[in-house]
This record gives sequence, C-alpha cells and structure tokens, in this order.
Amino acid sequence: MRYASRPERARSLLRRAALPLLATLALASFSVASRAEGLYVICHPSVAISASDLRDVFLGEKQFAGPVRLVPADNSSARATFLQKVLGMDYAKYLTAWTKKSFRDGVNPPTVSSSDAEALAYVKRAPGRCSYITTAPGPGVLVVATF
Amino acid sequence: MLSLNSHARSLCCIAVLAMMACAPFRTAHAAADAQQVAQLQSQLEQSLKAIDQLTARVRELESRMDAVQPGAAPGTAPATAGSPASAAPPATGVAPATPASGTADERLASLEGDVAEITAANAARHDDMGLPLHGFADVGAGTRSPNNPDLHGADVGSLDFYLTPELGERTRSLFELNFKMSTTGALVTALERIQLGYQLADATTLWLGRFHTPYGYYNTAFHHGQQISTSLRRPKLVEFEASGGVLPAHTVGLWLAGAKRMEMGRLTYDLYAGNAQRIVAGVIDTNNVGSPHGDAIYGGNVSFLPQALDGFRVGLSAFTTKVEDDLVARNLTRVNNYGVYVVYDTDRWENMAEYYRFDNDDLSGSTGSHNSEMGYVQIAYRAGAWIPYARYENADFDQTDNYFAAQRSGGSYFRTALGLRYDLDWTSALKLEIAETHLTDRATDTYEEALMQYAIRF
Repeated sequence: MRYASRPERARSLLRRAALPLLATLALASFSVASRAEGLYVICHPSVAISASDLRDVFLGEKQFAGPVRLVPADNSSARATFLQKVLGMDYAKYLTAWTKKSFRDGVNPPTVSSSDAEALAYVKRAPGRCSYITTAPGPGVLVVATF
Repeated sequence: MLSLNSHARSLCCIAVLAMMACAPFRTAHAAADAQQVAQLQSQLEQSLKAIDQLTARVRELESRMDAVQPGAAPGTAPATAGSPASAAPPATGVAPATPASGTADERLASLEGDVAEITAANAARHDDMGLPLHGFADVGAGTRSPNNPDLHGADVGSLDFYLTPELGERTRSLFELNFKMSTTGALVTALERIQLGYQLADATTLWLGRFHTPYGYYNTAFHHGQQISTSLRRPKLVEFEASGGVLPAHTVGLWLAGAKRMEMGRLTYDLYAGNAQRIVAGVIDTNNVGSPHGDAIYGGNVSFLPQALDGFRVGLSAFTTKVEDDLVARNLTRVNNYGVYVVYDTDRWENMAEYYRFDNDDLSGSTGSHNSEMGYVQIAYRAGAWIPYARYENADFDQTDNYFAAQRSGGSYFRTALGLRYDLDWTSALKLEIAETHLTDRATDTYEEALMQYAIRF
C-alpha cells in the first residue's frame, strides 16, 4: 500500500472537495439570486386594486375595493422583503402601527401564513383576499404588483 | 534465515492449493453466465414494465392534486413526466419489479398528498382565528404617585384589555375593559369602550356605544395604551376624567368616523353626538345610561395628512355640550371647546402639540361668558431603542367659570417634563421622567417628581 505525502493528500483533498464546493457556491448564489429576484403581491381575482393601494390595504386604511371587503394576510416567509419593498418599514414599526390602528379603530391586523404555498392557497380560497409570495403564482390569482 | 525460507515455502503451498481449489468453481461459474444473463434480461423487462406502471400512477396522482388545488405550482411535477418510458402505454397487471421501489413511490405520493392537505388546512385555519385578546399594562414607582402627588413610592398603573371580534363583512365591534387604581388606591373597573359599528363604505363607519371622545390627537391615539405612548403619562390637561382631566374623555352616543385618500394626501374625519356629561363629586361623569335632561354633546374632528410630508398631520376639533354640576346651586354651563393640533411622527421624530380654547357660557346663573385655554408641546427623538423626550404643558382656567370651579382638578398649572424611554423589546418599555409642576391659582404650589414606569402590550 502506498501512502501519499502530505502535500499530495492535500491536493487530492482539494480536488475532491472542489466540485462539491463549486456546486454549493453555485447553488447558494442561485438561491440568493432567486430570493432577491421577486416578490409577487397577489389577490383573489375578485379584487380590483392598484399597486398604489397596497400600503393602505396592508396597514388597514383601505378595507374595501368597491363592494368587496379586503382581507390581507401576511406571509412570514416573505414578510421582511415585503415590509422593506412595499411598506418601507421594519417589523417593529409594522407591529406598532397595527397595534395603534387596532386599538383606535377596532380593525384586526392581517392573519399570518407561514409559506408561499399556504399564502397562495389562502388567497385562492375566498374573494377579497390578498397576500404576497416569492415565487410566480401561476393561474387562479391576480398579481397586483411585482417587486 | 531457515525460518524465513520455511515460512515462504508454506505460503507458496497455500497459494497453490488455493488456486487449485478455485479452478473448478471458476469453470462452473463460466458455465452459469448464459443462464444469469437471461435472468437479468427478464428482470430488466419487468423493471421497465414497473416503471411504466409507476409513471401512470404519478400522472393519476398529479391529476388528482390538480383537481384539489387548481393552478398548483408546476414546480411540484415529478421529474418522470418527460421520460421516454412515459410515451409507452401503461402496462397493467404486472407486479412491481422490486417491492422497495414501489413502497418509496407510494410513500412519496402519500407525502405529497399530506403536504397538500396540510397547506389547505393551514390556509383554511385563517377563517376562524378565534377571538384575539389584546391589552396594555403598566406599573411604576416614583418620588410621588403620577396621579396623586400626595402619595409616594411604587404604584399600580392600569391593566387594559380590548377585543375586536370579527362579526361580519361590515359589522364591527370594539370592547375595552380597564382596571386601574383611583387616586386614593381603590380598584376602579371601567367599561372603557363598548362600540358596535357598521361600515357603510370604505371611508365611513358608524359606531354606537361608549367611545373615546375624538377631540385633538392624544385622547384617541393612545388613551390607555401606555406602551404605545412615548411619554410616561398623558399631559394632565387631557387626562382621564377620574385622573384629573378637564375634558370629557369618553362619550356615549353615535360616532361617524372615516378617512379618505386623496391625491394631495389623506383626510380623516369624526362626527359625534351623545349624552351631555355632568360633574359629580368634582369629576366629569359620562352619563353612561342617559342624560337627566336629555342634553347632548355634539362634536367633530378633521385632520389632514399631506402626501408630500410623510408623518405630518394637522387637525381641528370642536365640541359643544351642556354640563350640569352637583353643587348646591346646580349650575348649568354651555361648554364650547375648540382645538387645533399638529403631529410629526416619523422614524426619527415624534413631535406633537395641541391647543384648546374654551368659550363657556353660564346658563343657570349670571356670571356670563368665560374664556380659558390650555395646551402642550412634546418633542421626542427616536435614537434606536432610546427615546428622549421633553414636554411643556400649560393650562389657564378661569376660576369664575362654574365648569372649572366645580371640578376637583380645575385649577390652572404649568408643567415641564424631561423623560427617557427605553424599548426593552417590541412589546415592553421602561420610562423615566423628571417633572416640575406649578399650580398657579386655586392653590399656589410647586412640586417635583422623579418617576419610573414599566409598560407592556400584549
């Protein structure tokens, strides 16, 4: 049996590790790119609102779109991106804004989904619902805005 | 050396014997190759058929899932969809080639089904979230009690619960129950708010019940929410009725409220009418079950939040009411109150100012008209979790006006306060305040306070 010298073993180890390492880096960069890629604000097809209404909808200031009552839902897996890109605030300020709104006007804050799939299923279930996801939603919902 | 040679010879013998022993097996193995190849071919054919079966099964499951979840993300499609085997018609009546592959596929299908069911169930769970209960609580300590400067040491602030049950698309409700200590230490339980409303439109909600009187800014924005209020306590001039306030902080009646988004900004409005208040034992009483003489309070509040200046708000409020007191003379006073307020609330600043003027008329006596005024300015700077603030408040009440003369806290004063708030986390805050109060007419006195408060919300 031949024992490799230390430099040889190191080179061999590097060669063996190089491929998985590169693959991992590629996947990671793809993942980051995907995550930064997009945010889809979606609503049930019964909802007629524009991107400029989103701030009011998700802060409880706009509760009806014509005769349809709006029911926004947060998606915890995409909330940080949504708050930053759409509402321009952090989570603490968002919570406080809703506490003040709820305490003064008796309006309940949005319910919370835990994943894109759950948010998508929630929006599809009933008229007036809106949420946001990070992957293209496909048919069955209205994409109000992408960020 | 002898021993080495002997060992080598032994090894050679063993090797030769082993080779001789293996030779017949190798010959037999060669003879069985043809039969084994035939078996493998047979197994391969069976495997291909099994793959066909599995492909058909996956397609069937996909179609079922699509039926349950129309428009499901295409990314969930199995990778076998484009395989060459899928082009062949599905074989029937052929057993899977290996039990293991069949079990794995069934488990995968079962798992997919479970995930779809869980997702749908979670989405459906939002439909019934029960009855959320929220509230505020605060406790404190100081050189003097914040509500009674004659007392010293630790104090219990209040425990406040509020509920906002969802009753229907347009039916609204808000209930608030408060437990607090009176200035003498007695436990006071108050049905702070009981409002039932109907949302007529996006910009209009009509409430009936007991609500926070919408004058100025502070009373409806914070009220018992000490944790959402930057300062340690309310300005004295807009305190609750039983805590030294001279305005009716609550009204029982009708309240029309709403907001309208316009191109220039957002307009909010409040219109209300309710039972006229009275003064009992030196404190304003809301007349929760009706006004003895059918007198009423009428008021309104309008504010504008310009689009161009985020966080800025300017507003006007006014109310008029007839207030009877319980003094021997039973005075009846027409109270006319006008207010103006400005708020600048951003990520960095929380500044606010309110000014009120009273133009009261003595309806039962001959003291005539009386003018009084009061106001405060508060400036706060948000430096992360630390929020230093400063406040100045001033009240100049006409002591010949029966409305103020009958109130226990109707004396004029001015107060300066410096405070520091520290947010421990999103829901709790520690506050420190030092203040100096000057009583200027009914009694002339000056006292200092150093106060601490721990306030939470839940």
